[in-house]
Amino acid sequence: MIELRGVSKTVPSGSGMLTILHPLDLVVPARQVVAITGPSGSGKSTLLGLIAGLDSPSTGQIAIDGIEISALGEDGLARLRGRRIGFVFQFFHLLPSLTALENVLVPMEIARAKDAKSRATALLAEVGLSARGHHYPSQLSGGEQQRVAIARALANDPPLLLADEPTGNLDSTTGGQVIELLLDVNRLRGTTLVLVTHDPELAAVADVAIALRDGHVFSRTPRDGRAAGTRPDAARVPDPAVR
Amino acid sequence: MFVFRMAARELRASWRRLVFFFVCVAIGVAAIVSLRSIIQSIRAGLVREARSSIAADVLVQSSRPWTPDVTDALDARIARAPVLARTAAIETATMVRAESGAAVARMVELRGVEKGFPFYGTLALQNGVQYSHDLLRRGGALVRPELLTQLGIAVGGRIVIGGRPFTIRGVIDQEPGRSVGGFSFGSRVLVDLADLKASGLLTFGSRANYQVLLKVREDGVESLTRDIRLGFRDRFVNARSYRSTQDQIGENLQRAENFLSLVGFVIVVLGGIGVWSVTRVFVRQKMRSVAILKCIGASTAQVLVTYVLQVALLALAGSLMGVLIASLAMRAIPASLASSFGGLSYGLTMSAVGQGLAVGLLVSVLFALVPLLDVRRIKPLLLIRGTDIAQTAVAPRPAARAGLRARAAAMLARMDWLQIGTAALVGGALIAVASWQAGSWRAGAAVSAGFAGVSAALYGAAFLLVRLVSPLASAPWFPLRHAVISLRRPGNQTRVILLAVGLGSFFVLGVRALQNNLIAEFAVGADRGGADMFLIDVQRDQVDGVRALLQQRLDAVTNPVRLVPVLRARVTAVRGRETNLANPADVRGQGSLAREYTITYRNKLEANEEIVQGAFWTGAPASAGSSAEVSIEQSIHERFNINIGDDMRFDVLGRAITARVTSVRRVEWTQSRAGGFMFVFQPGVLDDAPQTFVGFAKGPSDPGARARLQYDLVSRFPNVTTIDGREILAKIQSVVDNAVLGISIVGGVALFSGTLILIGAVAMTKFQRVYEAAILRTLGASTGLLTATLALEYCALGLLAGIIGAAGALGLSWGVTRHVLDIPWRPAPGLLAAGAVLTMVLVGMVGIVASADVLRKKPLATLRAE
Repeated sequence: MIELRGVSKTVPSGSGMLTILHPLDLVVPARQVVAITGPSGSGKSTLLGLIAGLDSPSTGQIAIDGIEISALGEDGLARLRGRRIGFVFQFFHLLPSLTALENVLVPMEIARAKDAKSRATALLAEVGLSARGHHYPSQLSGGEQQRVAIARALANDPPLLLADEPTGNLDSTTGGQVIELLLDVNRLRGTTLVLVTHDPELAAVADVAIALRDGHVFSRTPRDGRAAGTRPDAARVPDPAVR
Repeated sequence: MFVFRMAARELRASWRRLVFFFVCVAIGVAAIVSLRSIIQSIRAGLVREARSSIAADVLVQSSRPWTPDVTDALDARIARAPVLARTAAIETATMVRAESGAAVARMVELRGVEKGFPFYGTLALQNGVQYSHDLLRRGGALVRPELLTQLGIAVGGRIVIGGRPFTIRGVIDQEPGRSVGGFSFGSRVLVDLADLKASGLLTFGSRANYQVLLKVREDGVESLTRDIRLGFRDRFVNARSYRSTQDQIGENLQRAENFLSLVGFVIVVLGGIGVWSVTRVFVRQKMRSVAILKCIGASTAQVLVTYVLQVALLALAGSLMGVLIASLAMRAIPASLASSFGGLSYGLTMSAVGQGLAVGLLVSVLFALVPLLDVRRIKPLLLIRGTDIAQTAVAPRPAARAGLRARAAAMLARMDWLQIGTAALVGGALIAVASWQAGSWRAGAAVSAGFAGVSAALYGAAFLLVRLVSPLASAPWFPLRHAVISLRRPGNQTRVILLAVGLGSFFVLGVRALQNNLIAEFAVGADRGGADMFLIDVQRDQVDGVRALLQQRLDAVTNPVRLVPVLRARVTAVRGRETNLANPADVRGQGSLAREYTITYRNKLEANEEIVQGAFWTGAPASAGSSAEVSIEQSIHERFNINIGDDMRFDVLGRAITARVTSVRRVEWTQSRAGGFMFVFQPGVLDDAPQTFVGFAKGPSDPGARARLQYDLVSRFPNVTTIDGREILAKIQSVVDNAVLGISIVGGVALFSGTLILIGAVAMTKFQRVYEAAILRTLGASTGLLTATLALEYCALGLLAGIIGAAGALGLSWGVTRHVLDIPWRPAPGLLAAGAVLTMVLVGMVGIVASADVLRKKPLATLRAE
C-alpha cells in the first residue's frame, strides 16, 4: 500500500521558488492499478518520482507498505527500490553495456538473490524474449527494450511497479502489447501498478485515474468511470483510493 | 559478487573509450621501470665487482710517498691484522712516446704493480695471452689497444716513459677496477713497480697515488680499514675496503636512481592528469548508467566501488603494458652504450617492476578517485528529468541579487567536502609517492610544490580567461562568438584542457630549457680562446728550459707562456683556533678547511680575478721575518666566515706559515684555464719552499705542430706531463653528448606523454560538442564555420596553456640552474616563445582532428541518439 500525506514539491526557480506539486494526500491499496494523467508540467512525473523515492518531498510523508521513505537516506531508498519497487521508464533506460539477460540480472545481483540466472531467463521468457537474452539494447527494437525493462523491473518480484509513460516512446501496436504485459503482471502477480500516461486507452483500464493540472489534483476517476469532482481540492474527499 | 561482475561487464563495454587512460599509465610506468632497471642493473654489476674494482679487500693509499715512519706504523698495524697477502702499487699520470716512428706523445695513466696483483678480478689480455707478472719484468709494459693506434706501434714495439724504454708485451682488454665508464685522463699502461720507481717520474711534488693492496681475512676487513683511517688521518693516508666501495657505488647510484625515478614519476603524474580528465568525462558519460543502477537498488558505495575497481583493473593492465614497453626498450639499448658501462647486462629488475606497477596503480586510482566521487551526486531522478551533475549539486545556486554573505554561505553549502577532503588526501598521497620515488621528502615536496604552483596558476588563468573573453560573446563574427560561448558554457572543459596541456608544456619546455642551459654551459667551457695546453710537475730547475722550448715554438707576443709556482698546503688554524683535522680524504667531500689546497704566490691579479674586499698587496715582497699576507677566494670568506685581518696558519709540507688575510678575491671559475687558486700568497714567504710549477699555454692549432711540441717536451723533460686541453674537451664532449642524449630521451618521453594528454583531453571533451554541432548544422552552419569556431576555441586554449607552461619552465630553469646546478641562467626566450606557439598549433590541430567526426557526423543520427 502507498500512503502520501500532505506531500508537496517546491523547487528554486530563478530568484524565487516554484511549486511543482501542491500538498496532496493519496492512498493506493495493494493490487490496484492507478493511472496518473495530465498535461506536460502538471507534476505527474514528479509525483511518480516521489513515490519511487527518486526525489524527496518538500513537505509531507510517504509510506510504502508502512515504511516511511522520507526518513530513509539514499542507500536506504536504493535498497527499498531494489526489493519493493520496480520502475519502467519512457526511454527504457537499459544499461547499454550489458546484454538483455544481464540487464535483468543486475537487480537480483545487487539484492544477492538466489538462482538469479534462472529467474532472469524465466522473466525474459515471460516477456517473450527468451531468444534475445544475449543481445545488447542497441540490437533490440523499442518494444523489445521496454519488455526487457519490464522484466528487469520484476526481477526481485516487487509488490509495487511504477511506470513513467511506458508506451510514450512506442508505436500503438507495440504500446498495446506493453499495456497487456503490464496488466498481466498486475493480474497474475498481484503487483500494485502506478503509471504516468498520456494514453487515454491506458488510463481507461486503470482502477483509478488521477488527473493533475498545475500541480493540483484536477479530477479522479474510479474504475466505473464515474467522475468524483472537478474542483482542485476534490482529492481530499474520502474515497478508497484518494482522500 | 555484484561489484566485480559489474566492473568486468563495464570494462568489456567501455575499454575502447578508456584506451587513452591505459596508454597514459603505460608510458609513465614504462619510464619508471626502464630507468630504474637500468640503474639497478648497473649498480648490481658494480657492487658485484666491487672487490675486483679495487683488486683487493682493503686498499690503503696516499698522495705522498711513503715516509719511513708512516711505513713503520702501517706495517705494525698490518702485522696485527689477519692479512693474507699484500702488494704495493703506484699510479700516476704521465707522458708516453714511441721510441721510434711517429713523433707523437700521449698522456697515460701509468700503474706500477708488483707480483700478486690483482688479488681479485682478472686482467684480461687480448689474443688469449694469460696475464702474469713476468710479462712486466725487466722493462715490460701492457697497454690498451688505443695507445698502439695513437703511437703507431704494435706488440713488441718500444715506448719511452720517463726517459726509459719499455717493451710492449701485451694488450689489455679489461682491467679490474676500470670497467666503469668513468672519466680518465688517458689510457692505462701497466708496468713493473720497480721499473716505475726507477723511471725518474716520481720527482718532488709529482702527482702520484701510492697504494698498498691487502688481502685480508673477512673478519678483519672492517676493523683494519677503520683503524687505518683513524690512525693515519692527518698523515694523508686513507683506506677503503671493498665494502665501503660497495657502499659508495651504491649510494651514488641510489641517488641517480632516485633522480631518474622522480623523472619517471613526473611522467606518471602527467599520465595521471590524463587519467583524471578521462575519468571526469567518463563519469559524465556514465551518468545515466549510474542513475539506472541506483534506481534498481544499487547503493552509492556499490556503484563507486564498481567504477574504482574498473579504474584499478585498467590501471593494472596499463601498468603491465608499461612493463612490457620497458622490457622492449631495454632490449633496444644499443650494444655500444652497454659496452661503455663495461658490458654490464641490462634486464628488468623485480624491484623496478614492482615499483612501476605500484606507482602506476596508485597514481591512477588517486587521480581517478576525485572525479569518480561525482557518482555520489548522480540522482536516479535524472532518468525522468534530464538533470546534470552540476544541477544535482548539494545546494542550489544563490540568486544573482543575493548579498555577498548569502552568496558565500551558498558557496560553502555547495562545496562537496568529501570530495575536497579526498582531493587533499590524494595530494598528500602524491607527495608521499613522489618522496618515495625521489628517496627524499624534500625533493618529493619540491616537485609536488612545483606541480601545485603551476596547476594553481593554470586554474587561475582559466578563470581569468573566461572572465576576460566574456564581452566577446556578443561579437558580430559568428565563429568568435561561439568559440567564446564554448569556453564559458556550463560544464566547459576550459580548466581541464588548460591544466592538462599547461602542465604538459611546462614539463616539456622546462626539460628543454634546462637541456639548453646545460649544453650552452658546456659549449662555453669548450670555446674559449684561453690556454689549451697545461704542463704539470715542472721542476724548478726545468722552468727555464720548458719556457725556452715553448717560446721557441709559440708566438711569445700574442701567446705568452706562463709558469706558475704551486705548493700544497693545509689550513691548521684560523684566528688562533685549531681547525678540525679530519682525514684529508674524508673532509674533501665536506669542503672543510682542513683539506689540502693548492696554493701559489704572485704580486698581481689574473684577468679572471677581481678584489671584492680589502686591497691586493703592492710593493716589495714580504721579508722572511715579517708576517705574510694572503688573499682568499670569496667562497672561503663566505663559507668559513674568514675576514680581512684574520690570521691563518698553514701547514706547507710540514712547515707552519702564518699569514694575515688582506684581501678577498672573486675568481671567475668558468675562465679558470688561466688558473684559479683559493689562496694566493704575497711573494717572499714561500719562494724558498719546495715547489713545482704548472704551465699554461695556447698550443699550436695545427695538430702536427701540436703533437711535435708534446713529443719534444716529453723527450727533453720526461717527468713533465702535458695535458692537452683539446683532448680533454673532446672527452668531456663525448660524456656531455651521452648526457644530452639521455636528457633528450627523457624530454622526448615527456613530450610524447604531454601530447597524449592533450589528445586525450581534447578527444574526451568532444562528446559535448557533437550535440551542439548537430544542432548548429540543423540551423544551417557550414563545416567551415564549425571548423573556424573549433579552431579559435582550441587555439586560444593552446596559446594560454603554452604561455603559462613557458612561464613555469622559465621559473624551473632559473631555479634549477641557480640553486641546483650552480651555473649561469640563460632564459632561452626563443625556445619558450616557440614552445608556446607550438603548443597553440598542436592544440588547435588536435582539437580539429579529434573533432573530425563531430564535423562529419550526420546531425539526425546525433540528435536521435540524444
